Amino acid sequence: MRSATPAARRYLRRFFPVMLAYCGALFFSTWAIRAWEPQGATLVALAVLPALPILGVLLVIGLYIHEEADEYLRRRAVSGMMVGLGTMLSFFTVWGFLEDAGVVGHIPAYWTFVVWCVGWGVAEIAQSLRDRRELAGGGR
Amino acid sequence: MKNRLRVLRAERAWSQQDLAERLGVSRQSVNAIETGRYDPSLPLAFRIADVFGLKIEDVFANPSREDAQ
Repeated sequence: MRSATPAARRYLRRFFPVMLAYCGALFFSTWAIRAWEPQGATLVALAVLPALPILGVLLVIGLYIHEEADEYLRRRAVSGMMVGLGTMLSFFTVWGFLEDAGVVGHIPAYWTFVVWCVGWGVAEIAQSLRDRRELAGGGR
Repeated sequence: MKNRLRVLRAERAWSQQDLAERLGVSRQSVNAIETGRYDPSLPLAFRIADVFGLKIEDVFANPSREDAQ
């Protein structure tokens, strides 16, 4: 995602603190569950803690799509997200059947977000490279 | 959608960046529209036509009429 537009700059300003919060929450949650061996509601709260910043990332992404005034860049970002969605669904559909057959092991559900991000990232890089090539090709 | 952006820009000696600044969009947007990779929304198409001081059909070719030809 290019940082040229105001919406993209706001996206980056929001994204990094949320990711920092994720790192902190993950570290604390992992440590606390091992150290305190909590039960019941405390365990649930500690287990959910690292997920909250990830939900925050989704909110930050949603805000970017909502606020991006450049319709081509917005469309490009949404296209990338659709590629990420397709990658995620394809990967986990195949993985699910392989897992049922005992060919592969279980993957925690939170990897869906990671696979979606990877698919989106690859699409974003491909689209950026294409745009850069087109811009270098002329039209000055 | 075919359009005359490149010609209209050349007539005015505007770069893609110049046009992008006049429209308040990125240069990638202008390039994508100019090369036909992206069809602008109706509001943006009207803005483009306004920037050139032309009617929308003087900038963009009507796709349905192109098909009929």
